[in-house]
Amino acid sequence: MDLLTQVLVNGLLLGGLYAVMALGLALVWGVLNIVNLAHGSFIMLGAYCSWHLFHSLHIDPFLGLPLTAAVMFALGYAVQRGILNLIVRAPMFNTLLLTFGLDVVLTYLAQLAFSADFRTINPGYAGRQWHWGSVVLPTMRVAAFGAALVITMGMWLFLLHTRLGRAIRATAQNLVAARLYGVEPRHLYAMTFAIGVALAGTAGGLYGTVSQINHYIGASLTLKSFAIAIIGGLDNPLGVLVGGLFLGVVESLTILYIGPTFVDVASFGILALVLIVRPTGLLGKTA
Amino acid sequence: MILKRLHPLLSSLCAFGLALAAAAPVQAQDIVLGASAQLTGPVANTGRYYRDAYQTAIDKINAAGGVKIAGKEHKLALKLYDSQSDVNLSVRQYTQLVTQDKENLLLGGFASNFQLADSVVSEKYKIPMVQGGGASNEIFTRNFKYIFGTLAPASNYFGSTVTMMKALKDGPKSVALLYADASFDVSTAAGTRSLLKAAGFNLVMDERYSSNTSDSSTLLSQVKAKNVDAVLVAGHETEILNFVRNAKSLAVAPKMYSFTVGVPSEDFRKALDKDADYAFGMTAWLPEASLKDRWFGDAAQFAAEYKAKFGYDPDYHAASGAADVEALAMALEKAGSTDPQKVRDALAASDFESLYGPIKFGANGQIDMPQLVIQVQHGQVAEVYDAKGFVKQPQYPMTAWNAR
Repeated sequence: MDLLTQVLVNGLLLGGLYAVMALGLALVWGVLNIVNLAHGSFIMLGAYCSWHLFHSLHIDPFLGLPLTAAVMFALGYAVQRGILNLIVRAPMFNTLLLTFGLDVVLTYLAQLAFSADFRTINPGYAGRQWHWGSVVLPTMRVAAFGAALVITMGMWLFLLHTRLGRAIRATAQNLVAARLYGVEPRHLYAMTFAIGVALAGTAGGLYGTVSQINHYIGASLTLKSFAIAIIGGLDNPLGVLVGGLFLGVVESLTILYIGPTFVDVASFGILALVLIVRPTGLLGKTA
Repeated sequence: MILKRLHPLLSSLCAFGLALAAAAPVQAQDIVLGASAQLTGPVANTGRYYRDAYQTAIDKINAAGGVKIAGKEHKLALKLYDSQSDVNLSVRQYTQLVTQDKENLLLGGFASNFQLADSVVSEKYKIPMVQGGGASNEIFTRNFKYIFGTLAPASNYFGSTVTMMKALKDGPKSVALLYADASFDVSTAAGTRSLLKAAGFNLVMDERYSSNTSDSSTLLSQVKAKNVDAVLVAGHETEILNFVRNAKSLAVAPKMYSFTVGVPSEDFRKALDKDADYAFGMTAWLPEASLKDRWFGDAAQFAAEYKAKFGYDPDYHAASGAADVEALAMALEKAGSTDPQKVRDALAASDFESLYGPIKFGANGQIDMPQLVIQVQHGQVAEVYDAKGFVKQPQYPMTAWNAR
């Protein structure tokens, strides 16, 4: 029983991190209709950014997150205005190709800049944990989970209650109507993409505190984010949160009861199932 | 008119060129060694050992005059492709090296699953390939005649560790064996399983995990719940790093853990810093001056030159890669020819001392070497156990994370 509780806790804590990773991808996909295949690379760049802030400037990895987010926001804005806006109206295949190319370029640039060495963000309190009965709650993971919750809720409130958030949702629903109401799409798209990349970067910073950073981590994280975005649905950050938590728990239980080789079978099996049964995602609105 | 005026100039230039050509000794043709290694992609951090080791060894051999065949000195050259950590691409590149680039001699890259596939190409075209990156027994049980390996068999990677576990005071009783689903790791697990059973250990966990598993916290929670004394992991460096980090955050401290990769590499110890302490591992090679070498003098000098050139310490992968180049050089001289068949036969009869150790292939093409048990102690790699017994006292049992 204790083992099961512990494994559930592990899964939930992991799932929170998954959710933040997927949040940016779902936002960009939902609004711009771009499946950003370079999403994982932005997570990776954010992780390196956080690592630098921690190692060179000795900024606490959690306090450094807003800085990382700011840097990544600027990068995202520039990438959208400079590159992606050129093809935002093009068929989906073009955007897939372009973001895939971007992913390759960013991965190789990162290897040139940071070498193939592994990095970790390992502050002094990394080894601490809280004990709840016999269940262990690692401080870092709980902190990362907390940050994930705050970010997701913040995203939700932002989309609901701010002018920019409403404009983003309006554009996602109906571009023509949004333009009639004075939304300037180029700027709005760039803002949305920048927010998506800032979220990816923040997720990267959190990822570095619990796992290891390498130029290559992006590809698998893109895949994971993609699965979560589909499972959770694109139009609601809360859906992504539920999708992330769900996937984290399912993966952990699969390892415990079926075997660690079957993790991907379970997660992509669920992905297929969701696509068949609830194509709009777990919390998505049905038409 | 212009041509006329230029004529004396042209003729003197020609004469100068001829004189130059006459002054230089007759340049024998370079001998090209073809290879593909992982310079980018997920295993680039180990793949680079091969690029750097091949270059170091080739430069050194060339500086000493190169390889002497039938009285002529030939320089060695490297034709290296980047497989981007993709097995299929690697196979295509070896096919290209053989069929289009017409290379007669091949070197390998990293990892057993690559060698397993690449060696099919060398076998098909009957081109000898010496590789220092694949240890899996699977590579050498197919009666292939053209593949030679300088890593000791995977099945025995944990051999010396299991012997040491028996010799430890208050040694471990229950053991968990965790391994990735790649060729090397599966071979390692198969060998280790029988070693553990023969030694009378209680194997309480025997789990194969997907190489894509990004999180080991569930496996660690099981290790804790089952009160496992010793954890043996065969996997990739990224998984091992994740394992150690998670062990710390979940406060899981078995009496010992040992890993097939990571412990000998500087990169691993840097990434984990103090948390790398207590980790056991194994290596068939340490940069010791007792390992004499024809070109480098000894292994210590090789390590120093390598570090000076590339800025990081070589580990056994690099030494193994350098030994592969030397094995080819020795075989070329012995064969007195670059004919693939003759070089292959000379390779099979290799018997020389190198910076990596004695190079002598078994009938299956694989070398056999004992693994030294090593442990990270205070940030340094310490040799704790060899064939003869304890060298340095191991730090056992592992101190709890909160008591460090």
